[in-house]
Amino acid sequence: MKVTLFATCIVDMFQSSAGIATVELLERLGCEIEFPESQVCCGQPAYNSGYVKEAKEAMKSMIDTFIDAEYVVSPSGSCITMFREYPHVFKGDPVWEPKAKKLAEKSFELTQFIVDVLKIEDVGARFDGKVTYHTSCHMTRLLGVKKAPMILLSNVKGLEFTELPGKEQCCGFGGTFSVKMAQISEQMVDEKVMHVEETGAEYLIGADAACLMNIGGRIERQGKPIKVLHIAEVLNSR
Amino acid sequence: MAMKIGTDNFKERVGNGINDSFMRGAVAGAQNSMGVRRQNATEELGNWEEWRSHGEEIRQHVLENLDYYLEQLSENVAKRGGHVFFAQTADQANEYIKGVVAKKNAKKVVKAKSMVTEEISLNATLEQAGCTVVETDLGEYILQVDDHDPPSHIVVPALHKNKEQIRDVFAKKLGYQKTEKPEELAWHAREMLRQEYLTADIGITGCNFAVAETGSFSLVTNEGNADLVTSLPKTQITVMGMERLVPTFEEMEVLVSLLTRSAVGQKLTSYITVLTGPREEHDVDGPEEFHLVIVDNGRSKILGGEFQSVLQCIRCAACINVCPVYRHVGGHSYGSIYSGPIGAVLSPLLGGYDEYKELPYASTLCGACTDVCPVKIPLHQLLHKHRQVIVEQEGKAPISEKLAMKAFGLGAASPMLYKLGSKVAPAAMNPFTVGDKISKGPGPLKAWTDIREFPAPNKERFRDWYKNREKGGKES
Amino acid sequence: MTGTIQNREAFLDQIASSLGRGRLSKGVKVPAWKHRPQDQVLNGATPDELIEVLKTQCLKIHTSLVMTDSKNLPETLNEVVSNYGGGPVVSWKDDRFSKWGLDSLMKKEWPSNNIEVYEWDHTKGEENIRQAEKANVGITISEMTLAESGTVVLFSDKDKGRTVSFLPATYIALIPKSTIVPRITQAARELRELHHSGSQVASCINFITGPSNSADIELNLVVGVHGPVKATYIVIDDL
Repeated sequence: MKVTLFATCIVDMFQSSAGIATVELLERLGCEIEFPESQVCCGQPAYNSGYVKEAKEAMKSMIDTFIDAEYVVSPSGSCITMFREYPHVFKGDPVWEPKAKKLAEKSFELTQFIVDVLKIEDVGARFDGKVTYHTSCHMTRLLGVKKAPMILLSNVKGLEFTELPGKEQCCGFGGTFSVKMAQISEQMVDEKVMHVEETGAEYLIGADAACLMNIGGRIERQGKPIKVLHIAEVLNSR
Repeated sequence: MAMKIGTDNFKERVGNGINDSFMRGAVAGAQNSMGVRRQNATEELGNWEEWRSHGEEIRQHVLENLDYYLEQLSENVAKRGGHVFFAQTADQANEYIKGVVAKKNAKKVVKAKSMVTEEISLNATLEQAGCTVVETDLGEYILQVDDHDPPSHIVVPALHKNKEQIRDVFAKKLGYQKTEKPEELAWHAREMLRQEYLTADIGITGCNFAVAETGSFSLVTNEGNADLVTSLPKTQITVMGMERLVPTFEEMEVLVSLLTRSAVGQKLTSYITVLTGPREEHDVDGPEEFHLVIVDNGRSKILGGEFQSVLQCIRCAACINVCPVYRHVGGHSYGSIYSGPIGAVLSPLLGGYDEYKELPYASTLCGACTDVCPVKIPLHQLLHKHRQVIVEQEGKAPISEKLAMKAFGLGAASPMLYKLGSKVAPAAMNPFTVGDKISKGPGPLKAWTDIREFPAPNKERFRDWYKNREKGGKES
Repeated sequence: MTGTIQNREAFLDQIASSLGRGRLSKGVKVPAWKHRPQDQVLNGATPDELIEVLKTQCLKIHTSLVMTDSKNLPETLNEVVSNYGGGPVVSWKDDRFSKWGLDSLMKKEWPSNNIEVYEWDHTKGEENIRQAEKANVGITISEMTLAESGTVVLFSDKDKGRTVSFLPATYIALIPKSTIVPRITQAARELRELHHSGSQVASCINFITGPSNSADIELNLVVGVHGPVKATYIVIDDL
């Protein structure tokens, strides 16, 4: 199966390990990976801040980049949610709406793709450690991917899982919210870190690099001994 | 602006909220318990999504045909002997009600909890006119006794107060001498308020849902205060936001069910009262005279536009009870009687962007509000829509942000520029980088690094890794 | 007596203009809704099954439920009233009390045992309110009873004062088993049918679900705020 990888700008610039794990994992599961160099950002930072015109420029560039792919897969629920929003953003545009629809239909978040498209529930991973999992808001609520990461994690050998209390609560990232509303964001991420600590986990796993950057950055600042990993890295571990 | 509470600016309000540790504990506790109750009450139905869709279709139909149903309602209220006044503004509503009070030579008004009367500042108007106004909902009563402390939640208005504070307020203002036990506090309020009901000249209520076909309207409470407000005084005035109606009893029933389950996790609340006109001939209780005041106050400007769906709201506060921002800042931070996600959408529409331009940004767009709304208002999308309006039409966004976003448009749209920018990023960030992290970031990054570490950009970007790997051939 | 309508036309014109069309004054029909989830609740449940639902629900709404039949009703009612500490009792004026054989209890036994009984009498005006206010027990009859929520439905009229169910310290609802329906859906439909058949909707319809309560102080549930502190439903097997 041919998979066109949408790495996302955060993974590209800050968390290349998650991107590398995604490539290795998908290849191991029998996919042929393609990475178009012309990919940039999905447009979400500008879009969510209300700069729709500016965001549309990025979106058009992304549509052109991925339009011919068989499947577009990304290690980010949030960025795929943005792709799925494109038809709504371009609603009524005779040229771009149909293209956006075409892209939205074949775009999948990594765990969603493995479980729903590849129909694989056990990726044969082994990971020794106590973990908890952060369910990011866009991935669970807007994209509707709730079960896939749980199914995949439950089949990882050696992994000891504890559910995160208050898991449905946002971590306080919210894109520009994290700097615009810094004082509120701080309270939110503090509560999240507190819950992560309560689980006694050694690792916090997530499927969205942005949330992990937020929670992980706060954990690090507070000097807590909890490591943060992208789910691709756990599923790629053997 | 009548909706407005307090004089502090947004940042100060949020700061006060965050530092109020009792309030935050109370709100978090309330969200946890109300959240579970709501969830149980909706899940036990087994087809909650269908209920939501039904709620949505009813509300949408009413809004699309609002003039028709309001005309029908007013005809039917008049047929039963009620007086209907259509108020386009808060002032018109207040003037009319003041007129009724004057005509009745009324000295005392008892009120059942109503957001729309808060919105139009009815209490202040009546008090200025020399009338004593007594709130009878326990939460509202507590706030009123405490020198008109504003409500912080649309269903549980005194949520921000603890029982010790309430005991102290009662002791100071009412000569209360018992303990802080909620039962004793509530009993004291009951005894005080009994006398008020029995001696009041006028009862004023809001309206949960009016019923166009019969000219009826419903009041939903647990305390039973609305029943006494509408049973004992000789004159009754009901004030309703113009969108709060349904075609018939059958739709009323559905919305009441959605409301009670979403607001308090109950199948129905203790008292749901459906009133039609004044008392009938020979009736002993119930009002002799009934007035219905239908308020626009900016709602018709929302109608027909891209924010119309906010008028579907049935004021259940489910969105407030799940909002992670409200959780940490509390209701007063919103600076409006309408708080939480619904307040962040509604307040700028009714009160203007000058006053409320920050509210649409006080959200991570996490979508929890949209998920629980029983009438499917896309709240987080409306918050996003506000941001777009603020940027594009209102021109209220900061210049620095505009420039940054312009750069984003250029950079993100151009693979060449993006590649160049991301390639030089490690070098650019080098002065700020210690090890693999940035602890004191420049410019907008400072707000981030004040709280958390920021990762240093990868020296080898993912795309470089990929390219090198392609060149070297796949080894693994 | 017909009321007045003021300031309507400009107001409704503004709405029509916002909606981008002319005024709609007729021809709007309530659509055939796409969804009707309310019909599925307790659909096809037998009266006995509904009683079970009602019983379970009463536990959640702090309400006692007593089953009886018309033969044992006087004894049951007497017991409940004495458990509530006796009189004064206030009740509606309603032929059904006598039909159910309660005359002897309410008009002889109680008064002779120093339990004051007041029957609503509209000719006495305000006196009714005074009696209801000082009463320990209020007694009314449910016209429709909603199993799902544990709700009694009362229609006011000149003999059925509204305050009988609010002002006394405790409250008893007599529920003929035949009045039990699955939920508020059936009640709403019947109300609508009554209206269509030309009868006037009662000026006050109360849906009462247990005693009065509030969670306004730190979300602690306090039972008994403005209305009754305790409530008992007496279900009479009339089927």
